[in-house]
Amino acid sequence: MNPFSALFRRFVFIDNPSPVVKQLPTSLAFLGALIIVLALPDLAITDPTAAISGIVGMVLATLLAVTFSISAPLTRLALLIPFIDLFAIGLLRMGTGGSLSLFGSLVILPVVWIANQPERRYIALAGIGTALALSLPFTLGAMVPQSSADWLRFTITPIVFSVAAAIINEMSRQAAGRVKAIHELAEERDVMLRGAVDYAERLSENEDRLRAADRLTRSVLDAVTEQSVIGADVTGLIDVWNPGAEKMLGLSATQVLGRRYVHEFHVDQELLARSAELNYPPGETVLNPGFSALVETARLGTAEVRQWTYVRADSTTLTVEVAVTRRVDEQGSTVGYIFVATDVTQALEVSRLKDEFVGLISHELRTPLSSILGYLELMRDDEENPLSDEQVQYLGVAERNAHRLLRLVGDLLFTAQVGSSTFSLDTTVLEIGPIVRASVESAKLTAAAAGVDINVTIPDKAISVLGDAQRLGQACDNLISNAIKFTPRGGKVSVNVGIVDSRVVITITDTGMGIPEDELDQLFARFFRASTATRAAVPGVGLGLSITKAIIVAHHGELDVESEVGVGTAFIVRLPLNAPVAV
Amino acid sequence: MTDATGQLTVVVADDDEDIRSLIVIAVRKAKLTLLADLPEGISALAAVREHKPDIVLLDVNMPGLTGLEVASAIRADPELAPSMVFILSASVDDTAVAAGFAAGADAYMTKPFSPNTLAAQLTALIASTASGPTTDLPAPPAP
Repeated sequence: MNPFSALFRRFVFIDNPSPVVKQLPTSLAFLGALIIVLALPDLAITDPTAAISGIVGMVLATLLAVTFSISAPLTRLALLIPFIDLFAIGLLRMGTGGSLSLFGSLVILPVVWIANQPERRYIALAGIGTALALSLPFTLGAMVPQSSADWLRFTITPIVFSVAAAIINEMSRQAAGRVKAIHELAEERDVMLRGAVDYAERLSENEDRLRAADRLTRSVLDAVTEQSVIGADVTGLIDVWNPGAEKMLGLSATQVLGRRYVHEFHVDQELLARSAELNYPPGETVLNPGFSALVETARLGTAEVRQWTYVRADSTTLTVEVAVTRRVDEQGSTVGYIFVATDVTQALEVSRLKDEFVGLISHELRTPLSSILGYLELMRDDEENPLSDEQVQYLGVAERNAHRLLRLVGDLLFTAQVGSSTFSLDTTVLEIGPIVRASVESAKLTAAAAGVDINVTIPDKAISVLGDAQRLGQACDNLISNAIKFTPRGGKVSVNVGIVDSRVVITITDTGMGIPEDELDQLFARFFRASTATRAAVPGVGLGLSITKAIIVAHHGELDVESEVGVGTAFIVRLPLNAPVAV
Repeated sequence: MTDATGQLTVVVADDDEDIRSLIVIAVRKAKLTLLADLPEGISALAAVREHKPDIVLLDVNMPGLTGLEVASAIRADPELAPSMVFILSASVDDTAVAAGFAAGADAYMTKPFSPNTLAAQLTALIASTASGPTTDLPAPPAP
């Protein structure tokens, strides 16, 4: 703000001017009157004392006006000034002819100031002030009313000025009301303006934030070059296509966005098969049935990861694992879907080669084992050249180890079959009791040799399950032989069969070395061996439990483990019950 | 066809010499006459066509022709219809067994095998010629 503006704002407010501004007309009028008196010889000063006193009073009033204007705390005393003015004018009038003076009408100026105050009492004060000012020649004894005209001037003039004051006061009040209303409107406008400015700033900030978020999303999408990220609306029309999708499917974003549908990049037969899985009736009037098959699980609120085949622009195909998630608006309504696909062709090929390799190795190992076991058998059964007891014992060792190797090869082969999903079950309705009992019986010799007590509890009533007797027997053999293997001499292995919550439960408990809690999660992984087992040099390759788990899961069952190091381990097999049995 | 003494005849084919010798021992234990033991499929099929044996014992993985191809060729030749095909394989999965029976095998046995058990199976196969296929594995799936 420049100095002139500051000065102007300080002294000249339109609706509330400073005392010096209000005083200025009176002082100038008073000065004019003096000049007229001094300039015109026929207007002589009749009472110099009164005239000088009036001049002093006017000077005093003007100085006070200046002082009150400069000092803000004194401004509230400014109303004294017009009253001083009244007396100064009254004294000038007295000094220039009394009731005959030309300058009595100057009192209108301080009266205007007084009457301009908001309260109505100032009307009366203005009238009283005027009356006192005009009556000064009489009250100070300089004159005595000579005629009725003097009395009339003494009484009527204050009344006239009071009426004028009343009118001014009313006009002033109305003007003040209007000014107040204008002030309020101005304040409201200021508030609204500030609100608008704030809103504009927030909008601008939000816009910046949105732009930043958009840039971040775009940079993330652009950075994903090995995975395709495709977005589509609820009809499947593509609206997001990242560089990974461009690389994977051979089309640019401009060729796809708003033009192609997601399901157009899928193999029709796979979509039809999925539709059949979802029981979409033929001729179902759903929009884009192929797309519905793709997003059905996500549509119901669950993110889904599934293997599909993508068809590239050049009609070649690739196997992908696609994660489908729902896009929702602020109200939670579905507005589209996101498809994140990873090319798993190479991973599948590696897995296939690995399983093929394991299968091939296992197969090739069985051939020399055939020779070893076959010729060992021929040697043992040769009646023409019988072996000595010692030779039979040596042969037994060789046979036992050949069988051990055969079991390992069998486990490897089975693991490969599980990995390549070529493992199948020959399921029939069977009783679980005899299978478990047979496993326990076949393990008794081993348990006795290891000094481990083994006992079995099986209900008398038949408990039926739907399963593959050979595989379930294999699972029981694995768990029981494990329990014996990991239990020190003098320990105990218990096998219990029962029904809990309509499920067959087989529990194999040992008092063995136990498994550390942090290793339990990995226990069923292929080739995993517990640290307690490796420390104790218990033989094994870590396939038994993964095979057992695969068998149980293939029977729609569960395999759980509870263990405490140094106390023992319990494996719990739960299988679906085939028929209700009263136990 | 049977030999001069009335014993049933056999042709054996396996690329592993040791296994082939073991099979020959089992054949003798079963009191069958060995006409030929060969290390690969082409010569095995030629021997079968020449001798028209009662039983053909075939390994699956062989050079030249695989055991399954030899079995298919035998089944495709009406003159060889009376010959029974016995497949010995190191493959134990259901698919391999099903493929063996699909190729025309009358019996299927997995390696490793006991010579005594093989001899018993051969005897059982001869006895059940009219009563259907024989195997030490579960019955093959329906085609």
